[in-house]
Amino acid sequence: MADRMKVGQLAVSLKGLAQRFAFGLLVLTAFAVMVIGKADTVIIERVRSAVVDIAAPVLAVVSRPVQTVNDAVAEVEDLIAMREELTRLREENARLLSWQNVAQRLEAENKALRSFFAFSSGPQATFITARVVGDAGSAFVRSMLLNAGARQGVRNGQAVMTADGLAGRITEVGETSARVLLINDINSRIPVLVERTRERAVLAGDNSRQARLTLMPPGMTVEAGDRVVTSGHGGTYPAGLPVGVVASVSEKAVRIEPLVDWNRLEFVRVVDFGIAGILPPQPSLVPLPRRGAQAPLP
Amino acid sequence: MTPSLIQRLDGWGRTFSPFAICLLLILISLAPLRVPILTTASPLLPLMAVYHFGLFRPTLLPHWLVLLLGLLIDLLAGSPVGVNAVVLLMVRHFVEANQRFLVDKPFMVIWFGYALASAGAVAGTWALICFLLWAPIDPRPAIFQYLIALAFYPLAGWVFGRSQAKTRAA
Repeated sequence: MADRMKVGQLAVSLKGLAQRFAFGLLVLTAFAVMVIGKADTVIIERVRSAVVDIAAPVLAVVSRPVQTVNDAVAEVEDLIAMREELTRLREENARLLSWQNVAQRLEAENKALRSFFAFSSGPQATFITARVVGDAGSAFVRSMLLNAGARQGVRNGQAVMTADGLAGRITEVGETSARVLLINDINSRIPVLVERTRERAVLAGDNSRQARLTLMPPGMTVEAGDRVVTSGHGGTYPAGLPVGVVASVSEKAVRIEPLVDWNRLEFVRVVDFGIAGILPPQPSLVPLPRRGAQAPLP
Repeated sequence: MTPSLIQRLDGWGRTFSPFAICLLLILISLAPLRVPILTTASPLLPLMAVYHFGLFRPTLLPHWLVLLLGLLIDLLAGSPVGVNAVVLLMVRHFVEANQRFLVDKPFMVIWFGYALASAGAVAGTWALICFLLWAPIDPRPAIFQYLIALAFYPLAGWVFGRSQAKTRAA
C-alpha cells in the first residue's frame, strides 16, 4: 500500500516536472530537429518529400481560386497597359520578323556545314510540363512546388524553364510532387557566361528579386543590357540556356535581372537534357517509367 | 442529458478552429499568389494566427501544436527544418508571459504586442537561417516583409476575431 502511494506520488511529481519544463523540452526538440536536419539531410529530405506529396493535391485545390484572383489582377493590369503594349508588340514584331529571316538563313547555313563536317548533335532533350502549386517566396527562401514528381519522370538536378528562360533546378522529388530551387535563392549557384564577351562567372542568388555575378575574372568588361546564359560548366545545365540580362554594374556588384517573370509563373517545363550532372540521384527514389507528356524540344 | 450530434460537432469545431485556421493560413502562405502587397505579407500569416490564438484561445493552441505547425511550415516551405518551430514556440511563449498586459486592452496595445512579437520572430528567423547557412542574408527584404505584415495585421486580427465571435455565438 505504502509502495503504491510512493509510486503515485512519484508519478504526480514527474507529471508536474514535465508540465513545468514542457516548453523547454519542446524548444529543445525543435533545436534537435534543426541539428538532425543539418547533419543528416537524407532523412529530412525523405520526410519533406512525403509531406509535400500529401500537401501538393491540397495546395493544387487551394491555388485554383488563387489563380482566379491572379487572372483578375493580371486582366486589370493588361487592360491598363494595353495601348502601350500594342505599340511595343508592333515594334517587337517588326524586329522579330527581320530576325526570322536571319535565323532561317543561319539554319540553312548550319545544316549545310553540319553535313559537311558529319557533326553529331547532343542527346535530344525531353520535357515534362508541370503546374506550380506552391510558391515559398519569403525573405528567406525562394522555391516552388510542382505537381509532378518521380512518377512523371522528374529527377533531382533537372533544369526548370519557362518560355522566357531558366527558372531553377529540381532539388527534391516526391512521388507526385517536386521542389524547384529558384535561381535567385541564396543556395543557388549557376555557372554562366556573358553572351557578348564569352567571359565566365557564377550567378549567385541572394533571396532578392535579382541575382548577382560572382567569381568574375579580373577586368571583366560587362555592361548593362548584356545577356547572360548558362556556360555548361559543372555539368548541371547544358550550355546556352538564357538566364538573365545585366541590370546594373557597380563597384560592389553586377546585378542580373532574370528573364523569368516571377509574377506570371503558372506552368513550367522540367527539362531532361540527358546530362548526369554533379548531383547524385536520390537513393530513396527509383525512377519509374515515364508517363507524362513528353516531346523533343524544338 | 447527452449532447446531440450537432452540439458535439459544434464543440469539435470550436476546439479545432484555431488549429484549422493556422493550417489553412500555412497553405495560403504557400499558394502561388500574385497579388503584390499580399504576397509580401503572406509568409507571416501563420505567425499572426499563433499570436492571436495564443492570446485569446491559449488552451486551444498548446505549445506542442505550435511545434508541429512550425515543423510543417519548415517542411513545406523548404526552409531549414526547426527554424519556424523554434520561432513560433518563442512567440507563443511571449504571448503567454505577457497575456495579462495584452488581453482586454484596446486594439492598439494588441497591435503593439504583435509588433514586438513579430519583430523578435523575424529577427530570430533571420539570425537562425544566417547561422545555419553560414552566409549573411540581406536583412532588408525581411524588414520590408515585417513592415507590410505589420500594416496587414489589423485586417487579419479582425478576421480572426470574427471567427472567434462566430464560434462563441454558436
